[in-house]
Amino acid sequence: MRPKLSLLFTIVILLFLGISCSDEQDFDQFDDLSITPAVASSIFSFEADEDFINTITTVNTFYTQTFIFEAFSEQFVAERLIEGTITYDFENTTSKPLNIIVEFLDEVGNVLDFENFSIAQGPNETQTRNVAYGPNGKPLDILINTASIRVTGRNLGDNVSVSTEPDAKVTMKSAAEFLFELLE
Amino acid sequence: MKYAVLISFFGILSLNAQNKQLLYDFYEIPQSLMVNPGVKANEKWHVGIPVLSGISFQAGTSGVTVNDLFANDGIDFNVKVRERVINSLNRRDDFSTTSQIEVFSVGFRGKNRPDDYYSFGMYGETDVIVYWPQDLAILAFEGNGGANIGRSFDLGHLNVRGEMVNVLHFGINRKMNSELTIGVRAKLYSSIFNFKSTNNSGTFRTTPGEQNLLENSIDADLQLQTAGVDEFLDIVDQGSGTRRRDVQNLFTRRVLLGGNLGLGFDAGFTYKLNERTTITGSILDLGFIYNTKDVRNFTLEGTASNEGINVFLPEDIDNLGTDLWQDLIDEIEAAVPFEENTNGYISFRPLKVYGSIRYDFGEGSTKTSSIDCGCAINVVGGTGEQYYRNSLGAQVFLQKRPLGIQPALTGFYQRRLGRSLSLKAAYTVDKYSFSNVGLGLNLQAGPVNFYILGDNLLAYQNIADSHYASFQFGFNIISWNGN
Repeated sequence: MRPKLSLLFTIVILLFLGISCSDEQDFDQFDDLSITPAVASSIFSFEADEDFINTITTVNTFYTQTFIFEAFSEQFVAERLIEGTITYDFENTTSKPLNIIVEFLDEVGNVLDFENFSIAQGPNETQTRNVAYGPNGKPLDILINTASIRVTGRNLGDNVSVSTEPDAKVTMKSAAEFLFELLE
Repeated sequence: MKYAVLISFFGILSLNAQNKQLLYDFYEIPQSLMVNPGVKANEKWHVGIPVLSGISFQAGTSGVTVNDLFANDGIDFNVKVRERVINSLNRRDDFSTTSQIEVFSVGFRGKNRPDDYYSFGMYGETDVIVYWPQDLAILAFEGNGGANIGRSFDLGHLNVRGEMVNVLHFGINRKMNSELTIGVRAKLYSSIFNFKSTNNSGTFRTTPGEQNLLENSIDADLQLQTAGVDEFLDIVDQGSGTRRRDVQNLFTRRVLLGGNLGLGFDAGFTYKLNERTTITGSILDLGFIYNTKDVRNFTLEGTASNEGINVFLPEDIDNLGTDLWQDLIDEIEAAVPFEENTNGYISFRPLKVYGSIRYDFGEGSTKTSSIDCGCAINVVGGTGEQYYRNSLGAQVFLQKRPLGIQPALTGFYQRRLGRSLSLKAAYTVDKYSFSNVGLGLNLQAGPVNFYILGDNLLAYQNIADSHYASFQFGFNIISWNGN
């Protein structure tokens, strides 16, 4: 009796352990996993007060700056970039109309693309422009090949008028939000 | 990278866990001394069959199962990951595993002190627990943009600990009187590797900025400590033809006290409240390992925030260089440096506590003979004890984990069929399962002892959908106490 019981019990445990069932599994599904986070960050901002703009009298360009910007051309980023948007905000409380140009330059300084902003004399509401890149926008190659960015500000008005607004100035802000494909 | 993610999330399930509720107080099995050094030991002596005397494996996942993700159910895999992992798991969900293999085990009763039962041996143990890094996973899957702007990601959700250790031990079990048996076990730990990242804190946040549209801010205090890992990685990276042999040599050296060492002890007791009622308790692995060799730690500590490049005119008119972006990156890296060090550290073993109450009933016979029978009674000193066919009881198990004490409650029934066969059934509730039914068998065939214990057997209907799996088995040669 005892050996039979022990045998039966052992068989029961082994049945559970060794001959257990499992629904059909498909581990190849893992290849379908897609991880596409949206990464957001500010890029560049500048602020120039009206007094400063008025001091530039010989030319109408009150500000120009080129800075190295290889955030998108980094190999890890370039290979995974899917689409995204760069947002520009402008606010002008000065008494003069302004023109601001943002140019995307490649390694040798060629202009790959540019954004031209005409800003009416202030005060006016914040002006926003969203520039899309990717399948529904401009080619991603512009960003991927960008090695530097040049920002130029021009005064299209005079150099003497003064706004009645307190602390009159022009501000430009920019940020990017892009989708990256970490896994596909 | 996919495979790295797969291994991280599921590969660890190939390792083993802690609660041995079926083995606990199953005093017919010599290995029950390893979960309570004060168990009622009956043997005159025992020798474990080398490498086969005690093999145990446990794996648990408190959240998602393999079946939840990989069942061939036609549901898009990304939807399953989104709904069942990203949106369902929280930072307290874990993937854990512990495995143990007894290399050798010997026990014998003192010649001059027959109330003492001495045991010693060596076993290897691997223990890994990875908590689901909830906020970090959301950050990786969703990013900091879109709806997550304004969200604070808790970097403290990174919580992982693992080790492989070889343990040399020596224990004394003493029957103080007919009611009380106590025991202690000293342990010498020889670490093969250890890693832990458990006391992390900090946040990462993206919010509307003041000087620009967005502000990214980080406040980090993260640390990953490793010991014994680097040499293994170096061998693997070398990729030479002797890689396998080099790994074996290093492993052997570490097993034989060539790595980081530590000390610990176990203690336990068995006390008979009355003829039929017994309480027991034990504390295991109260010890530490001092890691000084092959240490490599990584830290990320500091506070920084940025709103991109910000130029103010006329203040910055003389600061219009071309490296503003790189300067910004350098500034952030300086504020939150990623650094390495080789500082030694102490790692504590995962402390475990058992307690139980057992009620015996169904009188059998009193053991008076000295034959090797596997009797479930302690007859030290020639005093026979009543032999009961049935035991009913409850156990509690507590284990110290990085996020606090992890409890488990067990109810059990044990049936002794004659002198050579004992069966045990247990129902356990813990964070992994509310339907954990386990069965255990101990068989004594002459001097040969065999036991097999299996947990959560109902889940074997669909093992891929199991949150918890555990089994143990072993062979011993036992001579029963007949003095």
